[in-house]
Amino acid sequence: MINTNSRQSFLGPKSAAEFGGQQIGIIGLCGGGSHIAQQLAHIGFKHFLFCDFDHVEDTNLSRMIGSRPQDAEQEEKKTVVIRRMVIDINPSASVQLMESKWQDQAEQLRSCSVIFGCVDSLSARDELERFCRRFLIPYIDLGMDVHSSNQGFSISGQVVMSLPDQVCMRCLGILRDEELAKEHARYGAAGGRPQVVWPNGLLASAAVGQYMSLILPWSQDQVPSLLLEYDGNRQCIRESSKLSYLSEFECRHFPKGQGLGDPFYVTTA
Amino acid sequence: MNIELRISQSLYQSIHADLSRKHSFTAERVGFIACASGSLSDGGLLLLAESYLPVADDNYVDDPSVGATMNSTAIRVALQTAYNQPISMFHVHRHEHRGLPRFSGIDLRESQRFVPDFFKVQPHRGHGVIVLSHDSAAGLCWTPGVKDPITINKVVVVGRPTITIRRAHDQY
Repeated sequence: MINTNSRQSFLGPKSAAEFGGQQIGIIGLCGGGSHIAQQLAHIGFKHFLFCDFDHVEDTNLSRMIGSRPQDAEQEEKKTVVIRRMVIDINPSASVQLMESKWQDQAEQLRSCSVIFGCVDSLSARDELERFCRRFLIPYIDLGMDVHSSNQGFSISGQVVMSLPDQVCMRCLGILRDEELAKEHARYGAAGGRPQVVWPNGLLASAAVGQYMSLILPWSQDQVPSLLLEYDGNRQCIRESSKLSYLSEFECRHFPKGQGLGDPFYVTTA
Repeated sequence: MNIELRISQSLYQSIHADLSRKHSFTAERVGFIACASGSLSDGGLLLLAESYLPVADDNYVDDPSVGATMNSTAIRVALQTAYNQPISMFHVHRHEHRGLPRFSGIDLRESQRFVPDFFKVQPHRGHGVIVLSHDSAAGLCWTPGVKDPITINKVVVVGRPTITIRRAHDQY
């Protein structure tokens, strides 16, 4: 029988149940998040929770999938634009919107099966990873940057998969206290950082692939990598060499079985 | 009430490893899973497995009529653990098959005998029982002040791979 899943049937007989049962959280819906939402909607995922407090601006149109010039003119919310795109692709999808900072409605995010972090700042990554570790939610983080060099510019990026009892973004050197402190010191004066659509697309595709291999591994020897690195000048994504040094490393930032749940939780009848 | 249990892949594997160990006279092993808790936005309960407390070899009773029987020391150790920390405690054992397991009549009868004791040491937490199979799991959770247990809707093993086990039917 030909159906929408016939070309992805190698994902297995459980795939339809997974697409219907997973709650996808995406924080940040511009360069990275818009690609991820689009791909997951095409795959067939049905339940989304989108979080972004911002509206579309002209500067977003060069990289935000699904955005239109009139969205910028009308200052349409990014959440509304991405919901429109997802519903166009998959009319049966249910989409919850959080048009504020995610911390303001964090309880809603606890139901997520996965959270994709597509945020600009290190502090936002840090907070999201802490939240996900506390509630045992797989966290997949995308980041890209453009640096000036002697020969022009270099584009780089990474996809991190942060899972319980595994190395974290601090272990991997993605988050460092001195960099967080610098970021805090220049709060409000960072300006717009360079972002372009094709690295966002590559990194988002890699992140979606990581997630698919996490929940529906299509090969018995498949172990999704905890850190993929992107060299945007050579158009190359590969597993980070750092992981070979960290294979026996135990994360001390999130010790096993500690710091889980609500510290003052009380069950009422 | 929607109840979801999440457990890391490494803790899940260590529980299976312990339950697979042979004992000198019991047919199976049992243990306890200590869980932190959190609320879900729908009013549900999120259970987050923190650690595993195996029952020591000496704390089984030689009773060939059942797979495994704990003695009072095993229960006391688990109660002491729950007394010292703000945790939910879940008894765990395994049925030796694949697919979604179900609690037997003996499982349910015995659970109703010892689970209420955990409310004496942690009265504001849910407590209950988990049964594993070789590739699946099911659970029941008693909540404070409610006589009958609630079936755990979803068990998620978080890691590489991440496995979601959904309730196929009411267990109770």
